[in-house]
Amino acid sequence: MSFVQNFPFFSIIIAMFSGIVSSVLSGKKARAVSIAAITATTVLSAFVLAFCLRTGQSYTYMMGHFPAPWGNEIRAGVLEGLTALLFGVVMFLSVVGGLRYTEEDVEPSKQNLFYIMIDLMLSSLLALIYTNDLFTAYVFVEINTIAGCGLIMMSQTGRSLTAAIRYMVMSSLGSGLFLIGLSLLYDVTGQLLMSPAREAVAGITADGSYQIPLLVIVAVVSVGLAIKSGLFPFHYWIPDTYGYATPTASAVLSGLVSKGYIFLLIKFFYRVIGTETAVHSHIINILFVFGVAGMMFGSLRAIMQTDTRKMIAYSSVAQIGYIYMGIGLGTQAGMIAAIFHIFSHGATKALLFISCVGLYKASGDRTDFLALRGSGYRNRLAGLGFFVGALSMVGFPMLAGFISKLLFATSAFASPHKMLVTLIALAVSTVLNAIYFLRLMIGLYRPTKSGSFVEAAPAAKSGRTGKEGGRPAASAVNPWTMRIAIVCFIILNLILGLFSQPIVRAITDGLAMFG
Amino acid sequence: MRVLLPVLWPVAAGVAILAYTGICNSKKKAPAGSPASGETAADRASHSPAGHSQLTALDLIYMAALALETVLVIAAAAGGGSVRLFSLTDTLTMGLRVDSAGSLFAVLTSVMWLLTGVHSVAYMKHEECAERFYGFYLIVVGVLVGLDYAADLVTLYVFYEMMTLTSLPLVLHELTKEAVQAGLKYLFYSVGGAFLALFGIFYLASVCGDLSFTAGGRFTAEMAAGAPLLLTAVFCMIVGFGTKAGMFPLHGWLPVAHPVAPAPASAVLSGVITKAGVMALVRIIYFLVGPDVLRGTWVQAAWMALTLLTVFMGSMLAYRENVFKKRLAYSTVSQASYVLFGLSLMNPVGFTGALTHVVFHSAIKTCLFLFAGAVIVVTGWKKVDQLRGLGRVMPLALACYTMASLALIGIPPFSGFVSKWYLATGSLASGTGALGFIGPVVLLISALLTAGYLLPIMIRGYFPGQDFDGKEIGERGLAKKEPPLLMLVPIVILAAATLLLGCFPGPLVAFVEKIAAAVM
Amino acid sequence: MSPTLMLNLEEEVSMILFGVGFTMLLLHRNLIKKIMGMNIMDTAIYLFLAAKGYIEGRGVPIMTDGVQDASAYINPVPSGLVLTGIVVSVSTTALMLALTIRLYERYHSLDLDQILISMKLEEEEQL
Repeated sequence: MSFVQNFPFFSIIIAMFSGIVSSVLSGKKARAVSIAAITATTVLSAFVLAFCLRTGQSYTYMMGHFPAPWGNEIRAGVLEGLTALLFGVVMFLSVVGGLRYTEEDVEPSKQNLFYIMIDLMLSSLLALIYTNDLFTAYVFVEINTIAGCGLIMMSQTGRSLTAAIRYMVMSSLGSGLFLIGLSLLYDVTGQLLMSPAREAVAGITADGSYQIPLLVIVAVVSVGLAIKSGLFPFHYWIPDTYGYATPTASAVLSGLVSKGYIFLLIKFFYRVIGTETAVHSHIINILFVFGVAGMMFGSLRAIMQTDTRKMIAYSSVAQIGYIYMGIGLGTQAGMIAAIFHIFSHGATKALLFISCVGLYKASGDRTDFLALRGSGYRNRLAGLGFFVGALSMVGFPMLAGFISKLLFATSAFASPHKMLVTLIALAVSTVLNAIYFLRLMIGLYRPTKSGSFVEAAPAAKSGRTGKEGGRPAASAVNPWTMRIAIVCFIILNLILGLFSQPIVRAITDGLAMFG
Repeated sequence: MRVLLPVLWPVAAGVAILAYTGICNSKKKAPAGSPASGETAADRASHSPAGHSQLTALDLIYMAALALETVLVIAAAAGGGSVRLFSLTDTLTMGLRVDSAGSLFAVLTSVMWLLTGVHSVAYMKHEECAERFYGFYLIVVGVLVGLDYAADLVTLYVFYEMMTLTSLPLVLHELTKEAVQAGLKYLFYSVGGAFLALFGIFYLASVCGDLSFTAGGRFTAEMAAGAPLLLTAVFCMIVGFGTKAGMFPLHGWLPVAHPVAPAPASAVLSGVITKAGVMALVRIIYFLVGPDVLRGTWVQAAWMALTLLTVFMGSMLAYRENVFKKRLAYSTVSQASYVLFGLSLMNPVGFTGALTHVVFHSAIKTCLFLFAGAVIVVTGWKKVDQLRGLGRVMPLALACYTMASLALIGIPPFSGFVSKWYLATGSLASGTGALGFIGPVVLLISALLTAGYLLPIMIRGYFPGQDFDGKEIGERGLAKKEPPLLMLVPIVILAAATLLLGCFPGPLVAFVEKIAAAVM
Repeated sequence: MSPTLMLNLEEEVSMILFGVGFTMLLLHRNLIKKIMGMNIMDTAIYLFLAAKGYIEGRGVPIMTDGVQDASAYINPVPSGLVLTGIVVSVSTTALMLALTIRLYERYHSLDLDQILISMKLEEEEQL
């Protein structure tokens, strides 16, 4: 056994321990520990990816000394390594990009709590990616929920508290369904590990017994994870949640957390149920329908918003719809497109959230369209970041979003029954995307009501914006950490857009190892 | 490298100008959006007739950059060559390649750009933020040349989208409420059209794999038979790219966006950027799908019907329009569809007519818009009925306008006649049945309407009638006040070009016929 | 009535309880009742799991009197799962209760709709 094979376990445990250690540290130290942990896990994930690419197959890693049916396992392949790597990069950049704002938004005495939540979030995401055991997955789903809830309520405004409780309620529903699903699966198959469960399910499918329980299991788990990842019509917690958290939290929540659940669902389909059964169960068609509906609804609601944060949050609803549409196609190509979209949306949405904050800060902390007028001039880098992010969301060639759209469209051509719906949905939602993003983009480069470019609109009567006056110095607006984050996110987007082939190939290989 | 230079140089120069001058330093007046913004150009002109006439260093650099760009494009066209940039996916590559069709469009683009650029130096003296205009103006020409030289559909699409985005600031220039609304309309139509085209591209990519252009197209009859959605995809692309050329049903942006842009911007939007949509369609129909696959299908019939409808409708709307620039914009809707009609015939004669009309219409419409710009700068008049007695103000410019108008109507020996002749004969020879005969009739009616909406301006300009007292001209000291030299020279050159090209169309027609022979 | 109905009593009860809890969590406006619903839902699942692990006539899976034979004990895995699940649900409940207290202190209500209304009012006042 190669030493590298330990790395998935190491990365989970490093993230978890840094969270535990941080509870006795001051905010500054917790921050350092957290950033170090994220860096370390990202590097370890890169090693795992390289190892799996070299050996060309996935491997299972036994936790403790109990063999397959009893023990707990980790399984790592190319797809797991790649996802962990990209999640790590996005997490790192989101944390680094939002450093200053975290400092401002979170009470000094609670700074370390914020980073504990980040560490736990990272650890649970990694565990969701790597684990081969359904119950472990459940436990980490709950840890993820709690950490996510902690991140949302960190800014402690009334909005974020209500957003947190709504998030909690929806998440509890989702995890309840997930738990009952896996209890039923345990009842039917007697297994909790994914690979033995797969064999048992294959046996059941072959002799035709327990078909209805199996259907219920697929339905309940899919719906549970769909609720947790905010698929339409279970999305209503998303706008408030993403809209009113601190920037880092918003970026992490929208870019990564919902994607972790989707990754788990894909893993459930491939490793536990088997794609054949999943496709035949028609559950996948339901996911498809709701995915398409989500694309439409999210985009339409996004157009109606006048507040940028909510607009971006509703756009997330639409993007989650894209991913479920890809899964719902029920083909290999659709799955590849969905996974690529997980990456590209993670990179793009985090970029949008981080660069938007730069624009808010240049506009006296206001987030509505009117106040943001001309902010593209006041904070050029953030303007550029938003510009690139918006173009990527719209599907401008050479950026990540274009490749996703290309993959979705080509996979649609391969599945004749759903082709027309997919294409129309893609077309309509792309045009709607273009409408709301480009409208805002032009707004960013329009002069304010008073006709000036450089000065922020007069601050509203609200107390917290009163102190901002005149034109803040550029360095005050853009801390160097944020500059780095925005530049790196832009580069990440370009990489995903320009050099997508190796990534798509890795996803294909990874899916082949998945089963 | 020789191919890449004409694309990179103006983009680099434009970015350098934008980076060096900053956002908008020249605050000459209260910012746009003040209630009197409709009259600003005229007011400024009358208040300070000589104040802005000196050229700044920036103006000179700007003109030099444009001149160098023209030289570079011609050098690239003469030198040929190709460059492969990188691979987007395994099958989709991006690259540039010089061929004769691309060269025709690129040289045309850069020459028009240079002439309009010279005009814009004088025009922008009366607008704010000239630097920003210069910067984006330079960037757009690089993007357009890239679009003309694109070696495959993906590259073309990339440049097409970039063209929309970079030309947007030209439309938005004044940043008034109307400008922003027009800009949004322009953006949404363009983006909507581009996405319609994008799905065609996705489909072609999934059928064909390699999307690089070859003369005559890549599809054989068997391949077409194996791709059930091919015709739908092509139709999507025709409608999508037709947006830029102002083809019905997505023509709505054109008459809105052109009037609010500064006159030089409307000149190139109308004269050159509409041709980018034409270029995209030439590439798709004649270099990718192949006319043989499409000839005689419902796509051809539908396309012909759409273009004829647009030709008629554009002329009709232009005839009824009172705002001068808007009238010219509707005229562009009509004339660009002449070109598309020629392309939809899918025979060499029609193709020749279409590409020669591209050149002629480009020169004519640029000339007309520059004239409109000159009128706005000198007199501030924007409506057609204000233009009475214009002959007393700027007789020479009005003479140029007359020449261009006659050319657009298609009166020999002016240039429009040649292309329309080819279009009409091509239509009759196309073998498309009733549509092939309706075509020339519609072209004739439209020519009459063209005469109806262009010539009265000239007639009433020279012969304002008995009841015209010329009071306003006298009071504002406008008599015999030709536009400044920088404006007048491009107008005169373009007007002369319409006449010369009409008298000696031989070389151009021969060049286009060679392209036509290669693709069919 | 099907004869299997009486045989699977635990499963039926747990499913009914799960439904009750799920509905309460989803539909009830009162936060405390929502949390109670969540607990009922979780408990239903634990009942289900425990029933799955139970084998008639066997002992708890703790070694007694040195009997090593596995057939003397019930299946220990579900019991382990239930224990883990209880830990998870306790921490979730604690977090939700803490959040509820926060909200109550701020808006003096446990009704989620009421809270949302007062939140909107508060925001309008600020503007």
